[in-house]
Amino acid sequence: MSTAAQDPFARLAALKPARRRTVPDADAARGFAPEIPDGAGRLAEILGAAPRRNRFGEHLGLRRWFAESIGCEAPLAPLDSGALRLLAPNAPEEIADPGQWLFLDTETTGLAGGSGTYAFLVGIAWWDAGGLEVEQFFMREHSEEHSLLVALAERMAERRVLVTFNGKTFDWPLLETRYRMTRAIRPPAPRAHLDFLHPARSLWRTRLGSARLPELERHVLGWNRGTDVMSELIPQVYYDFLRGGPPEPVAQVFQHNQMDLRGLAGIAGRVLAVLADTEAHAQDALEIFGVSRICERRGERCRARKLYEGLIASQAASAEAALPAETSLAARRSLALLAKRDGDFVVARELWEAMRGCSREGFEASEHLAIYYEHRAREPRRATAIVREALAELRRAERRGSLAPGASKAWRLRFEHRLARLERRLPS
Amino acid sequence: MAGTAGMVGMGTGLAARPRTAPQTALDIFEDALATLAARHREEVLTAVRHIPAREAQFRPMPAWLTPEIRAAYAAKGIGQIYSHQASAIEMARSGRDFVVVTPTASGKTLCYNLPVLNAILENTNMRALYLFPTKALAQDQLAELHDLAGRLDDRFGVFTYDGDTPGDARKAIRERGHIILSNPDMLHSGILPHHTKWMRLFENLRYIVLDELHTYRGVFGSHLANVLRRLARICRFYGSAPQFICCSATIANPGELAEQLIGRQTEVIEENGAPAGEKLFVFYNPPMVNRNLGIRRSYLNETARVAKELLARKMQTIVFANSRLHTEVLLTYLQRANPAQPGAPEPVRGYRGGYLPGERREIERGLREGRVRGVVTTNALEMGIDIGSLDACVMGGYAGSIASTWQRAGRAGRRSGTSCTVLVASSAPLDQFIVQHPDYFFGRTPERACVEPDNLEILVNHLKCAAFELPITEDERFGGVDLPALCERLTTAGFLHPSGGNWHWAEESYPADTVSLRSVTSDNFVIIDIAGDTEGDTAGEGDGKPDVIGEVDFSSALTTVHPKAIYLHQGRQYHVERLDFDERKAYVKPVNADYFTDAIKYTQVRALEIAQEERIAGPAARAHGDVLVRSQVVGFKKIKFFTNENAGHGKLELPENEMHTTAFWITLERELLARLPFDLSDRQGGIFGLLHALESMAALLLMCDRRDLGSAVGERAPCNGKETDWQDAPAGMPDSANAKEFFEPNLYLYDAYPGGIGFSEPLYRAYDLLLRQTRDLIAACPCEKGCPSCVGPRGEKAERSKEAALEILERLRG
Repeated sequence: MSTAAQDPFARLAALKPARRRTVPDADAARGFAPEIPDGAGRLAEILGAAPRRNRFGEHLGLRRWFAESIGCEAPLAPLDSGALRLLAPNAPEEIADPGQWLFLDTETTGLAGGSGTYAFLVGIAWWDAGGLEVEQFFMREHSEEHSLLVALAERMAERRVLVTFNGKTFDWPLLETRYRMTRAIRPPAPRAHLDFLHPARSLWRTRLGSARLPELERHVLGWNRGTDVMSELIPQVYYDFLRGGPPEPVAQVFQHNQMDLRGLAGIAGRVLAVLADTEAHAQDALEIFGVSRICERRGERCRARKLYEGLIASQAASAEAALPAETSLAARRSLALLAKRDGDFVVARELWEAMRGCSREGFEASEHLAIYYEHRAREPRRATAIVREALAELRRAERRGSLAPGASKAWRLRFEHRLARLERRLPS
Repeated sequence: MAGTAGMVGMGTGLAARPRTAPQTALDIFEDALATLAARHREEVLTAVRHIPAREAQFRPMPAWLTPEIRAAYAAKGIGQIYSHQASAIEMARSGRDFVVVTPTASGKTLCYNLPVLNAILENTNMRALYLFPTKALAQDQLAELHDLAGRLDDRFGVFTYDGDTPGDARKAIRERGHIILSNPDMLHSGILPHHTKWMRLFENLRYIVLDELHTYRGVFGSHLANVLRRLARICRFYGSAPQFICCSATIANPGELAEQLIGRQTEVIEENGAPAGEKLFVFYNPPMVNRNLGIRRSYLNETARVAKELLARKMQTIVFANSRLHTEVLLTYLQRANPAQPGAPEPVRGYRGGYLPGERREIERGLREGRVRGVVTTNALEMGIDIGSLDACVMGGYAGSIASTWQRAGRAGRRSGTSCTVLVASSAPLDQFIVQHPDYFFGRTPERACVEPDNLEILVNHLKCAAFELPITEDERFGGVDLPALCERLTTAGFLHPSGGNWHWAEESYPADTVSLRSVTSDNFVIIDIAGDTEGDTAGEGDGKPDVIGEVDFSSALTTVHPKAIYLHQGRQYHVERLDFDERKAYVKPVNADYFTDAIKYTQVRALEIAQEERIAGPAARAHGDVLVRSQVVGFKKIKFFTNENAGHGKLELPENEMHTTAFWITLERELLARLPFDLSDRQGGIFGLLHALESMAALLLMCDRRDLGSAVGERAPCNGKETDWQDAPAGMPDSANAKEFFEPNLYLYDAYPGGIGFSEPLYRAYDLLLRQTRDLIAACPCEKGCPSCVGPRGEKAERSKEAALEILERLRG
């Protein structure tokens, strides 16, 4: 008989090794016997961590206080209510108490999500004694997860405002799944969840081209992480450790997690400061633009308008305060619309007049102007002239090829339609 | 009731016959048949069956139903129910798993909707999951359920959940959906791996509805059985124990299939209390144009002719074709014959996958309202989809199974009145067998739906998904395998990690992503077009970037994308420049060749372990068990389009492929062969011819595609256990049948998938039927010395292979 007959599993494609390179002598025939990986003892030594025991078993715990704050000092209570309103409009009052803030970041066995992805290391941090206290929970192998989760739940009950970076999409749903998988431990119920990814994007992505935490730390807070493990490698680092690999790479993951938390606290403080007192704290025009955007999104039109006006005025005053051309256009476009909504057509018209030209905003401005002259100012001739000029501009743009053909066609149809209607109404 | 003829005024588009107007629909159909088969009627109309009308068997609504549900159904005009519906409802209440076997249009959906809705009204926390084989069928059910929800003050939520469900709607569906309509693929990759988000559903899951159960056979069914094993684990985890309600078209083994799929004993309800109108069922074999060569008129043209005659008599007609291309061809013919009136919509429409949803809805409505007089479709309209009752159904070619054929025929005359179905046969072996053996079709169906839930390749893939969903415990069971041993192997391979008495998923990937329910392994070859810089026809990026144009699975890769093969993709030809076997990539360039290629494959099958064996007449033996199939593509032939002449050949050096699978086989003993009154080459020809015919009939019985089965002749292993030589059993190579005398040949029919998908044991059991039908096929074939419809093309040296095949069969049947 061939091998295939003796071993029904021998030829299964589904049993081909998951990876080409595996840790030598992986789990071969280990069964369930030695559960805690060989490297766990050394890992605790390197980190100065200790096993912690509760009614669900053991896990590894670590606490560390960082005196040096990154980017900004721990803020004073209560936190600025204007800034918080922009971050979480409907949040309960607790969010103003920095003593309730709990930063959280997880390291996971994959990015796909789903019930087979574990958070093997959970880090939390809070402002304490002028610095940052960090606490980490680590499962040395799968069966320690329940112990980890119950310890985390206890801590989270002490501080009820959860603060994360992309946690609304990733970390928190994943942890909720982990709690549900236990069927025994009730998931913590934070009173509010502040995710700083979106405000950070509004404030800095235009400048940095990215809103990844290490980039923000370097360019916004002026802090360089130095050696750090690449996020993509983290799941494999953990699996190697589980299968008897060395503990040093896992220690690096602990440090990575600490840096994520410190960076998050720094960014959170910075966002708060900029939102609370933009004039005093904004480093450049782009940040002011970002704040205006956030205000606009949250419906704080007055503040948004004031900020846009300031931006545009300072643009004229000094070249240093200049926004990139595109952002500047976007700012003026927003301001014009805000002015229009306030019924302030003098300001709006002036902005639109200046914006006319060969760009999306330019054609939009022409359209707004045409509408304004036709319906509000009752000067259909002026409206007609504006539409004709816009069409001429479109033709020039088409000749130069400076506008995407699809967009150009759409605009032409709109203007031609408007022109035809205006001409019907005009006495010839 | 039969007065549908001429009911709808369609203007003059479909001219009425100038003869004296026939009175009843039946007269009209008879008149059409007389016109169609004016000559050689007996030969052309091989069967004309009148299926009499059947009275409804009514039962009252059960008294225990909530008043609300009775009122809701009463408002729809349903005050009493059919007997099988009553049985189903009582069975649902009893808590037992069951399958209802019902023909089309017998009120099947009520069998599950009514008990499920009643249960929700009694307890609003209750949840139900409906699974349909396709998204379209789920959509179709949604309309009916929304209507009922409206009548019940919208006290429950019904949602479809599939790949088209927008991301922002998913959360609401998970929380608020009392009934989730989905499909096995979505359950597998979207719901089970995220079960924590579906906690509400799983904690309260009381009913699982599996509709169109008979479609879950072969590979798809074997996968579904494993998906349901995973579902059962999740339900146990959340403390629910749902009951299964299944519905199936008529097959020979509905209960067995249901039990294999859900892994539990299942009750079967086979009665049918629904009324049905009188039906005329006609088999139409296109007339011979060349009797010597056995060539018949084109079945497509004949299909169009039949449909035209029916449409001309104002019969609202549905025409089925077996491919999209044929749909379009038939549509062109019929639209030309029935042009639209100026300003009026087309009276004949096409309907198939690829049409826009809005367009489909419009056609469905047009059919229900009678505005659309004819529709040409693929199997897209075979199941579900409410299009009302039509007068006539014409099938261009056999649908492949009796169950599908009845489902298609059910589109005509769903409730009452006389309807007519015409099956126009192509020259394919199955078509010819069916129209020449009407009793096979009209008798009690012999078709079996087979699955192999313990196919290891499939099972292990689902075991990975299961481990991802929930750690596997030591005392758990998953199908019929040694679970701890398998988990150890998955641990060694780096997928699992043992901890705390459980095996945990310990890999970065999301295993459901790599498992498709439509194939056995995901070990596919990618086909890459490397002619990015040839101008023009490679639409899109002309930047020289390689383009992936498709994938082929491992088992067919070596025969379809070997070096120098012409690979056909969406009607275009590609020349395979290079095959990278290790990287699973084939590099191709578009070409315009006047030939296609046919791989020359040598296959050897060897029995590894016999599960069951029995001596039979002949003398011979039948057996089934595990086999090793070794195959190698050694060359290819170039064959000219249209003329089919051989335009050259090439040799290939490709790796040999081994597959461990299951087979059914017949051993012809030496004595049998020695007594045959034929010379060596005719005996050989007879053996290969018999196998060819056996394979056709086996595919018929198993409701499977011919590609799902493989066949080979091999030597029976001598008793002393010595290894035997390789025996070449070439596919489609008649000239190598002369190789050598077989001592005692084994005629193998094997499952063409690694691990087998459940065909072998049923074939062993259905052996008598298989032999009888194979004999009928060969004996009834009008060809003289063998043709592709029976024993296959005859070999040059084996003039009497058809005779020899029949003789062997006679001896086997004792």
